Amino acid sequence: MPNSPAAPISYMQPLIRLRRTRRLDTEGEVLVSVGQTVASGEPIARGTLAGGHLMLDAARALGLPPERAQREILRQPGEQVEPGDILAGQRKVGARQLRAPAAGTIAAISEGQILLQVNDERSFLPARVPGQIVDVHPGYGATIEFRGAWLQGVWGNRQLAEGYLHLVGESGTQLLTADQVDMSLRGAILVAGRCEQAQSLELAAQVPIRGLILGSLATHLGPLAAKLPYPLILIEGFGSTPLNSEAYRLLSELENEVATLNAQKSDPGTGERPEVLIPVKDAGIPPEALPPQSFRAGQSVRVLVGSQKGLLGEILSISLAGVPLPSGLRASAAEIVLEDGSQIRAPLVNLELLG
Amino acid sequence: MNESVQHGQSLIAIDVGSANTRAHFFDVVEGRYRFLATGEVPSTGGAPAFDINLGVLEALNRLQELIGRTLVSSEGLHISPDNEGGVGANAVSASFSAGQPVKLVTVGLLEGVSLDSVNKLAGSNYCQVVGSFNLNDRRKPEAIIDSICQSLPDMILMAGGTNRGASRSVVRLANYIALALKLIPEASRPQVLFAGNESLAEELDQLLGALTRVHHAPNIRPSLDQENLTPAEQKLRELAFDVQAKRLTGLQEFRGLAEGELHPSAAAMGRIVRFFSTVVDPPKGVLGVDLGAAHTTVAAAFGGDQRLRVFSDLGIGGSLSGMLAETHLSQIMRWIPYDLSDEAVLDYLHNKPLFPNSLPTSLEELAIEQAAARQVMRLAIGKSLALLPPDAIYPLPGTVPWFDRVLVSGAAVSRAPRLEQSLMMILDALQPVGIATIILDQNNLSAPLGAAAGLDALLAVQVLESNAFMNLGTVISPVGRGRGGPLLRIQVVRNGQKEPVVDVHEGGLRVIPLPQGQVADLYVQPLQNVNIGLGPGRGGWVRRVVGGAFGLVIDARGRPIQVPSAFNQRREALLAWQEALRS
Repeated sequence: MPNSPAAPISYMQPLIRLRRTRRLDTEGEVLVSVGQTVASGEPIARGTLAGGHLMLDAARALGLPPERAQREILRQPGEQVEPGDILAGQRKVGARQLRAPAAGTIAAISEGQILLQVNDERSFLPARVPGQIVDVHPGYGATIEFRGAWLQGVWGNRQLAEGYLHLVGESGTQLLTADQVDMSLRGAILVAGRCEQAQSLELAAQVPIRGLILGSLATHLGPLAAKLPYPLILIEGFGSTPLNSEAYRLLSELENEVATLNAQKSDPGTGERPEVLIPVKDAGIPPEALPPQSFRAGQSVRVLVGSQKGLLGEILSISLAGVPLPSGLRASAAEIVLEDGSQIRAPLVNLELLG
Repeated sequence: MNESVQHGQSLIAIDVGSANTRAHFFDVVEGRYRFLATGEVPSTGGAPAFDINLGVLEALNRLQELIGRTLVSSEGLHISPDNEGGVGANAVSASFSAGQPVKLVTVGLLEGVSLDSVNKLAGSNYCQVVGSFNLNDRRKPEAIIDSICQSLPDMILMAGGTNRGASRSVVRLANYIALALKLIPEASRPQVLFAGNESLAEELDQLLGALTRVHHAPNIRPSLDQENLTPAEQKLRELAFDVQAKRLTGLQEFRGLAEGELHPSAAAMGRIVRFFSTVVDPPKGVLGVDLGAAHTTVAAAFGGDQRLRVFSDLGIGGSLSGMLAETHLSQIMRWIPYDLSDEAVLDYLHNKPLFPNSLPTSLEELAIEQAAARQVMRLAIGKSLALLPPDAIYPLPGTVPWFDRVLVSGAAVSRAPRLEQSLMMILDALQPVGIATIILDQNNLSAPLGAAAGLDALLAVQVLESNAFMNLGTVISPVGRGRGGPLLRIQVVRNGQKEPVVDVHEGGLRVIPLPQGQVADLYVQPLQNVNIGLGPGRGGWVRRVVGGAFGLVIDARGRPIQVPSAFNQRREALLAWQEALRS
């Protein structure tokens, strides 16, 4: 009997040990060493791909064909130059010359053209995960070990910040409204069930809060959310689905703790998802993330889409043969008992295991 | 074709898509190749498995359970050319569309000439153009160089100059590339594929060869009025595979499994479309559309001249956002016969890319998904029209050209719960004109069969002629402005017997039964100044029309199809059209 395919896993764990490797796209300089503790926003490496160049055409300045102009260039890549320094041409009075228009570094030379780097706009690679450096990858980055609570979302606006968790309201269904956002929340990461008002999001930016965790966000607010200056993570997705019970329980237990909101984009290729990380001191050696596994009876799952979106339950049985759905489609499906005791049938592709 | 297979060869064709991995089994039955079964599982290239071969193995396990034949054991996949039967298969072919698209910067001398050609070349594979520049680029050279560095492409695709034509300008552009390459650390430098003025090969090697690997392909624009993409497409395929193999765990081993016969699914499907185009009467062509979760592929061929376009930003799963970015909601709502709020539809469409493999569970969700499928295909075909060969003939500006056959694959269309839903999606999205046979790739065989054709062309031909593909019917779609009232008069002649004349009115769909496999002659007479492909207002005999699931369908809705904007009228029209196909 074939197994069901490897199931996606969504983590809502009070204590876990994660190792994350963060690497530059191109070789650069690593700024941390093994054993060092880093905060999520701390740079661990610096890229070498700099912007801010000026292209200087020696051939045109000297009135020579490119191959002859190339021979007249007096500098080498890597050399520092000051404004007015001669870059190409002969050092004699009256001779045609090319001079540096600004201070900078010769970045490259080709075919009688000189690329002068005038600004250092090199990028820094932040840790994005708080923890301890356990390995360094020379020239590229490092591996960070995190110990603490971990909650994964499904959508993030790519921002990153730290702050203390503050729950809005008494349940995961709570709507975030503008009148709940005031100056006392400065520096907080707010947790609410849903948000339907642009005003709430905008006001939160003015406070400013440090981040926002929502069960779901009204779809029309998606473009605004993408531009917010603080990180926003959706645990369920777009629409009006409340925060699921397990996520709400975990976040309420950790209220007032300092959390990192790593609102990175979901990438099915790498498995990266937006996430909430709350470090726990003296955590001992917590368990690691689960290995890939198939769906099977007895597992806890979350429904990802449809009218039961966001509900949690336990798998009673699985049918890999095509089971008819109300839409008329057929798919491998699971019978699930939900938290309220009711039973539903859902296609396996609409489910996620709870890690 | 009447060839009979003398020595039976069984074949497994495996296709690894971004959402699903399928293993198909073909064998010889009564002297002809037949498609027997498919094992299908979700793909495993991404999290949490990160190895495409886990999905391949699982699909093979499913397949062997279905056909009751051992394909895989602890010793691996049983493939042997002299296989005696009962165990394994004689050959395996493979195709794939999984993985992230290859990032390209495209470079050409002039917009509208070589830059257009090089962008077409990029569109022939699973690629994403992250930057582009040409001689008339208004940016400063340093801005162009910085943009190359920041986009950090996997490859730079360059063309320009006719053979023995422009050289200094091409070298000037190449110099920008050289400067950018010098800024990028060696290990991350993109390779360069040059498909321009062939006399510059040595000079470009000297300029760029010390910095990165430079590959050459025959000039895609050997003269100003000539475009020759095919050899460069092949080269791009090879290079793109190398890039994808580094990112997609298991791809090299997968190629090994197929003994090197691994094809991009889009190119493999294109091969089937090209084949079809050689057996239809010119000047009509053949259109193929594959609606995938992450990509949509459009292949169109006229007399063997095929054009392929892969849209890596258009799909019905993870790439749905690409469609949403250029679509007004009304373009989707017009195909939904339920009274759903804009918000409900938007919620569904914005959540779908977050869970690209998810399935609609209610009728309303299914209607949203099928409306989105129509719009994705409509955008893809609209963007492809400009790329079709000059042989294509269009009845009116903005319509598709005359196609003899339209082949559609992709689970969203082929796995619709009801066949009329599949046909409606195809007609609404592609809006064929004239007389065209609609073929549904219900088993998603186009790409695997195209890949298998490299091993055994006869297999591909015989399976295409079998019932593995579903002929939905012959659709007659008159184009031109009607004045109300009857539009066409049709006389069906079956087995030499004339049937009662049928008048078809403007605005609806009409079905004339002609069961699968039956043949009839038709006399079609426009009653107004509309064109069915024989000239405006002109009628004539259409011989040997082969029946399909819906027989003959007359689509008299005009082109483009006008859907009422008010909900009640819209619902009435949509349900009436569906009902017409059910009758």
